[in-house]
Amino acid sequence: MAEAPVTDSTPKGRTAPAVRPVGSWRFWLRTRATDPTTFLALGLLVLFAYLIAGPILLLLSDAVRVHFPEVRRTGLPEGTFTLYYLERATMSPIAQAVFWRPLWNTAQVAFGAIALALLVGAPLGWLLSRTNLPGKSWYSTALIVPYMLPGWTFALAWTTLFSNRTTGGTPSWMESFGFNPPDWLAYGQFPITLILALHYAPFVILLFGNALRMFDAQLEDAARLMGASRATITRKIILPMMLPSLVSASTLIFAKALGDFGVAYILGVPVNYNVLATSLFRAISTSQAGMSAVLAGTIVLFGVISILIDLRLLREAGRFQTIGSKGSMDRINDLGRWGPLASGWAMVVFLVSAAIPLFALALTTVMIRPGVFTLDNFTLAYWIGTDLGTTALRQGILLTPEFWNATRNSLWVVGAASLGAGFLGLLTGYAVARAPMGSVAVLLRQITFLPYLVPGIAFAAAYLSMFAVPRGPLPALYGTYIILVLAIMADQMPFASRAGISAMMQLGKDPEEAARISGAGWWRRLTAIVIPIQKGALVAGVMLPFISGIKALSLVVVLAVPGTDLLTTYTIRLVDNGYTQASNAVVLMICVIAFFGTLAAQKLTKSKLSDGLGGR
Amino acid sequence: MAGIRLERIEKAYSRTGPKAVEELSLDIAEGEFLCLLGPSGCGKTTTLRMLAGLEHPTAGRIELGGRTVVSVSDGTCVPAEKRELGLVFQSYALWPHMSVRDNIDFGLKLKNKPQAERRRIAEEVMTKLGIAQYGDRYPNQLSGGQQQRVALARMLALKPGIILLDEPLSNLDAKLRLEMRAELKRIHREIGATIVFVTHDQWEAMTLATKVAVMSQGELQQLGTPDDIYERPANRFVAEFVGSLPINIITLPTSGADGADALQRWATTALAATGASSGVASVGIRPEALRITLPGDGAAPVPDGSVPLACTVVDVLPTGGNWIVELSADGARLFAIVGAAPAFAAGAHVQVAPGARDMHLFDAAGVRIETTAAQVQTA
Repeated sequence: MAEAPVTDSTPKGRTAPAVRPVGSWRFWLRTRATDPTTFLALGLLVLFAYLIAGPILLLLSDAVRVHFPEVRRTGLPEGTFTLYYLERATMSPIAQAVFWRPLWNTAQVAFGAIALALLVGAPLGWLLSRTNLPGKSWYSTALIVPYMLPGWTFALAWTTLFSNRTTGGTPSWMESFGFNPPDWLAYGQFPITLILALHYAPFVILLFGNALRMFDAQLEDAARLMGASRATITRKIILPMMLPSLVSASTLIFAKALGDFGVAYILGVPVNYNVLATSLFRAISTSQAGMSAVLAGTIVLFGVISILIDLRLLREAGRFQTIGSKGSMDRINDLGRWGPLASGWAMVVFLVSAAIPLFALALTTVMIRPGVFTLDNFTLAYWIGTDLGTTALRQGILLTPEFWNATRNSLWVVGAASLGAGFLGLLTGYAVARAPMGSVAVLLRQITFLPYLVPGIAFAAAYLSMFAVPRGPLPALYGTYIILVLAIMADQMPFASRAGISAMMQLGKDPEEAARISGAGWWRRLTAIVIPIQKGALVAGVMLPFISGIKALSLVVVLAVPGTDLLTTYTIRLVDNGYTQASNAVVLMICVIAFFGTLAAQKLTKSKLSDGLGGR
Repeated sequence: MAGIRLERIEKAYSRTGPKAVEELSLDIAEGEFLCLLGPSGCGKTTTLRMLAGLEHPTAGRIELGGRTVVSVSDGTCVPAEKRELGLVFQSYALWPHMSVRDNIDFGLKLKNKPQAERRRIAEEVMTKLGIAQYGDRYPNQLSGGQQQRVALARMLALKPGIILLDEPLSNLDAKLRLEMRAELKRIHREIGATIVFVTHDQWEAMTLATKVAVMSQGELQQLGTPDDIYERPANRFVAEFVGSLPINIITLPTSGADGADALQRWATTALAATGASSGVASVGIRPEALRITLPGDGAAPVPDGSVPLACTVVDVLPTGGNWIVELSADGARLFAIVGAAPAFAAGAHVQVAPGARDMHLFDAAGVRIETTAAQVQTA
């Protein structure tokens, strides 16, 4: 053994500060090459720029560029800058019909839905988190059911129950009962607001309920010891601290209602009641690229504003965050004799928001005339019959090839998209957690978050402007399955990347470095260590996008063509053609897939739906 | 040759902030068991990770077994997976989704060894470490000590010439730690690999290492055998860091011996007696070097040339087998440690008389001053 001279062991005097050696950039490159995470991060950035940022920017620019049909009218060459579309949308004679009234209607519906959802959801959130409500655990699943199912399911149920002769078609239950629903009840603002409110009330129940659950009861006790009354405590202590959760739920509902297409399409369009989303749909289906860009841009603008408000308020609310101590354990209020009443109220909400609509939908599919309860009126023909007396669709839905076609499409298109989203999410998580360059990580986070700011139908419009013509390496994609897969995948990236990032942040570097030391290269580490360890997170990252993709309508309604129908767009086609029983049957199938998918995902990931809410 | 050579290694995480490792040069001979010892944040783990290739220096050169693996100026960088060394992590870093056997097999498979040989090697290392019966278990079904053994087995299966250990004992309880310490020593003897061991625990360093490198704030303070480090600390940092009970440091007054406390006055006199007082700024005396005698006790004569110091016993603290004695010399505190039950109690008047070779002398910069007595002793 060589003895190192002891004289070497005294501390060295400082020499001149180290000058960066000439070869250092080469060394930098070499060290990066030993670990391609940086290149992965850059590659993902390029991919998302192409699939997310590109379409959105293009859409926004479409609003201020001359398109071919308007070349003559504007007297400008195609592609030059113009304010023509903005002026047309806001100041021309048609502005009222295509822009201002839909905007006003959207605002009314959105704010109405928020108010109603808070009214219904907040008390339920309190009942579920802080009281001994009879049947609490059952309610905590039952009251969330509306959110698991597509919102427009309930719009279909509504028409089944309340539609009148204004639009004709199959008579509704009310009509069969001999009661003629007035127009305000059957169509338009009232039912749209009500249905959106009930559909999004679970946001309030979950977010408000969770906030209450986390609330440190010691803060309540402290105020009580100082002699504050219950009302004062509620007003001065609890409510201010719960405000962030309520604001958060409200902005979430606002953003969702803004982009919701299905409910307004089913209940509003037949009586010419338009919101921004349906107006946008009309602009797209009549090939008005400029106008649709203006409308989609408006939706994006409001979406961004609402999310920014939410983020700002949440950041400010961060100052109030209390660390849960043992005082935060569940403090349960005894409802006493009010228990049955509260339980009854929860039951009413469940019946109105989920049970009755679904039951009506289901029952309608086995009735020849909806709402007529005579034995000869019941039939399974709409499911498995042949020779129905209709012009088209002469057989039951289960015997219809188009239905099975749409089911197959839905499963594989959404399946492929969610697989893609899950894997890209995990890779994004990997890149964000491991990339040595902080700025790239931040950029990746932000770009994958972008679709969250863009409501579904506007995102679809963005995809149309991007991929309706050949761009980059891809040919024109409109009318193909690929555009559906890409759009659904990109739309799910906010959730998938958040899941991937949090999973990778929790996994330390050690297992991977241990593999490195054992001689495993980068690809081997990824496939043999990281992905197997993250199996659970990956399953969640695939399942959740799958469920929300299966019931998505706004996103795909303008991208699917009859040849590439998914279950959701097929339903809308059936609705358009007045096949009430058939459309109800299909929508029930979607509900079944979505409902059991959600339950399975919760089981698999041992998580609650509320944890993934809002993607934060 | 599986020696290790670090040449003026520097690691900075930001351009302006302090450097994690500064101008570190080390020569570690083949077969050496080197401990990197220092408080947390001193750069020892960073150094280890740079050896492993998990981090890259911002300047300097590293040679492993004669092969340059990193040289910033030449742009050379061999990735961690090609350095063929072994590393045991503080957290063990067992792969949770693989059984013990698969954990061990993973690296062997990457080396394209035939299956029969892989199985033989796995059984061999598992038997050697006493975990053969756990082959099919998963890491979360094992205790901390067993996980530790699996981590060692996984590393040893690849027969690396250089083994890096990152505080591998810190998560074990006292008894297991003792056991694993013996195990590590045995492994080192058997396979003769060069081992670099990072720890903040001086006992681990002292008992395991053939060489100890003490680091502080990214800089090497001293490199030497455990005895060197303890008996001849290169500076005040090393003197104060090493030792179970902190060394007594007496800072001398800057001008003259007057106006100082009893301890300082005594130290000045004692130094004058040894004739080595020039340039001394502080004196360190280890607690175990303070032999306590009762005044006038003929059985324990004052050593030649040393100056006795009268003290009062403040407290006697039994620590099981040893007794820590807190002394006061006119209010100035001293700690001594004795190995036999003391014949005095709190309040007793006693004296200590450390000799010249018990005194570690440091100059104003904290650097050790060699005394003739000490030189004679080591010669």
